[in-house]
Amino acid sequence: MSETDYKAPEYRSRTIETPLQQQAPSQQMPAKIDTSEWDIDGQQGISLKVITLVLGALTFTGFVVFDAIDSLVTQFSEYPLISTGLGVLLGGFVAALIALIVKEWRGFRAVEACIETPLNLPALAKLDDRAVAEERIREHAQRFGKDSYAARCYKQYQSALHADMIAADVSGLYESMVVVPVTKKAEEILRKESVTSGSLAFISPNHLIQTLAIAWISFRTIRRIARVFGLRPGTAGSWRLFKVLAQNLAAQSLFDMATDELANQISGSLAAKVVENSAEAVAAGALNVRLGRTLIKLLR
Amino acid sequence: MKSFLKNVLSPLEPLLDGMTSAGDWFTRENHRFTITGLSRSGKSMLFTSLMTILKYRSEHQYQCLPLLKHLPAELVDSMWLEPVDDFPLFPIDDHIASLEKGEWPAPTENVYAFKMVVRLKQTGQFKKYLFPHTHVVFEFIDYPGEWITDLPMAGKTFAQWSDSALAQQMTDPQRFYAKDWHHTLEQFDFDSDPTPEAMLTLTSSYRDYLKQAKQAGIAMLQPGSFLLDGSGFNWRETGFTPLPAKISSDITHPWTKAFNARFSEFQQDWLKPLRAGTFREADKQIILVDLFEGLNHSKQHLAQLKETLSHLADVFVYGEQDWFSKHVLRKQEIGKVAFVATKSDLIPDAEKPQLLALLKDVCGGATARLEREDVPYEHFLVSAIQATDEGSKTGALRYTNKHKQYVEVQFEPLPARIKDMSADEHYPALYPPVPADYLPRMLNGRGLDKLFQFLLTTR
Repeated sequence: MSETDYKAPEYRSRTIETPLQQQAPSQQMPAKIDTSEWDIDGQQGISLKVITLVLGALTFTGFVVFDAIDSLVTQFSEYPLISTGLGVLLGGFVAALIALIVKEWRGFRAVEACIETPLNLPALAKLDDRAVAEERIREHAQRFGKDSYAARCYKQYQSALHADMIAADVSGLYESMVVVPVTKKAEEILRKESVTSGSLAFISPNHLIQTLAIAWISFRTIRRIARVFGLRPGTAGSWRLFKVLAQNLAAQSLFDMATDELANQISGSLAAKVVENSAEAVAAGALNVRLGRTLIKLLR
Repeated sequence: MKSFLKNVLSPLEPLLDGMTSAGDWFTRENHRFTITGLSRSGKSMLFTSLMTILKYRSEHQYQCLPLLKHLPAELVDSMWLEPVDDFPLFPIDDHIASLEKGEWPAPTENVYAFKMVVRLKQTGQFKKYLFPHTHVVFEFIDYPGEWITDLPMAGKTFAQWSDSALAQQMTDPQRFYAKDWHHTLEQFDFDSDPTPEAMLTLTSSYRDYLKQAKQAGIAMLQPGSFLLDGSGFNWRETGFTPLPAKISSDITHPWTKAFNARFSEFQQDWLKPLRAGTFREADKQIILVDLFEGLNHSKQHLAQLKETLSHLADVFVYGEQDWFSKHVLRKQEIGKVAFVATKSDLIPDAEKPQLLALLKDVCGGATARLEREDVPYEHFLVSAIQATDEGSKTGALRYTNKHKQYVEVQFEPLPARIKDMSADEHYPALYPPVPADYLPRMLNGRGLDKLFQFLLTTR
């Protein structure tokens, strides 16, 4: 074999190295999993509703005081300072009321958008462009209320994202870190609310109180579950969800009639009353579960 | 009252213990992994990183491995290591101590094993009262990567191996590194008797070639066991080398007879026990591929890596695994395979799709076989530690080089296939030292979650 066959390999480099006048940055430890308890009723600051009520109360009080002063000091026909103060209060009340109406409208739109255009994670997973998937998720997450459980999960999801992930990873990560825990939390709350609903139905002395109690607990369930999902539907925004509530109340009334009839047929004893109330309690709990499940299905 | 209850319930204690043991048996998930990787493919660092990440994830609640949904962090109750049979325990503490001192873990020169048991809290409504925990058991064996290349030798005769080894040395890029060895072979007097001293002369020269070629990034070097001192194989007394075809084809030639005997001894006394013990059958396989060794050297190196991986795939037994064949028929076949390009942090993010495509091309021969057997497989990019930082431009990264200088490296586009790479070009490998902040960089490692999620989930 000739020496030329043993040629040392020579290659051209396809990288260029440039020295930098700085030290390597230190990396941070990954974020820790947030294990603190999420407070369902926890809300930072004063809500706009409270401000409106307070302003309304102040205005009312102001007019009452004004009337009182007016009646007492009949001699003075004009009170410019007091009129200005009361005018400001009244202006604040009107402004807050307008803000509340706008907020209600936005809440309504948010629920509509959430229900009409749900986030299709399997479709996102099939996208080739990870940035598009991330953007769609971000747009969806913009609806989350600041203090909601969904927002908290979304923050954790964002800290877990890294450059190596493809669209399927991003959507998978969103599912495991936001969709699954949020649904789990909503179901947990639903269970508690259903127990409360059943208990209230059991102890209600008459049907009117029972209906009112169920209506109240249903409103609360809607509000609490919507908050878990990061929505603040307000009163008007819950309209879509109230359809289910109306169906529930109708079903509960029918069930009441059936149990009444059954109790009459058995006898009028205390045992019959207990049986009737127990059956109604179970029905109330089950209907509340139905309400919650429908809500979760709509909001997922 | 307590003692009274205890007395009343005491006869039931063995039963309750039995129920717990039965529960453990029912809820135990065993995953036996064989990690196949050539030397320098990053096996030891991968183990070290995996154990550290899981520890910090479960004990300190760090948000690592977010895509590993099979082991949800909030359900991990505890984890611990257990020995596997008589194997020495994987020296995780030594490796962490090395990193602390600013040194990479020493290459594995012996076999180590460990069982990592992760105890998960049960979530099922009834199950959590009957069997409060599920155990996921990972069984790993770490061994020198040099051994893996020897496995295909088990099915060959000495003459077959000798001819193929010499033929391989005549191709690029080995030819250059085999120069001295070929010279020795040409000058050697095969009319002399094969005395132990004469055989040692040949084996020493052959070993020098193997060492030099290994240094230059050649993947397929046989016998790889010759390269390790103290791993159990005595190359000085039982070593052999390829012989020129005119000698090896003559079965009556004293040198052929002598090396044939040693080759058979190598197969029986070394390879057979090695395969039965260290490479015992597993149900999942992770094949680690260091593409940077190939990219560092040349197109031919990558082509050879592809060939090596194809040969390795022929050594293992693959087959579709179902519950019946695994537990009742006790069939031990590899039912899932992951091809992993390690050290993926040494490439800019923008070039990672190309690196993944190149990995798929390099593993093409092996995956063709898996497709025939209908065995699911997937390709992954993994970095056990993020030793580099993002660059200022697309296609660039920053790292501290071996001279402790922080530099930015701009990469030209990576080839997506071996054939796209020019024969006279290469991508010099980066050899970053251990970063001072190795712990966060290890916890920020990438790809392990996707890898284990794939391996732990059933089809």
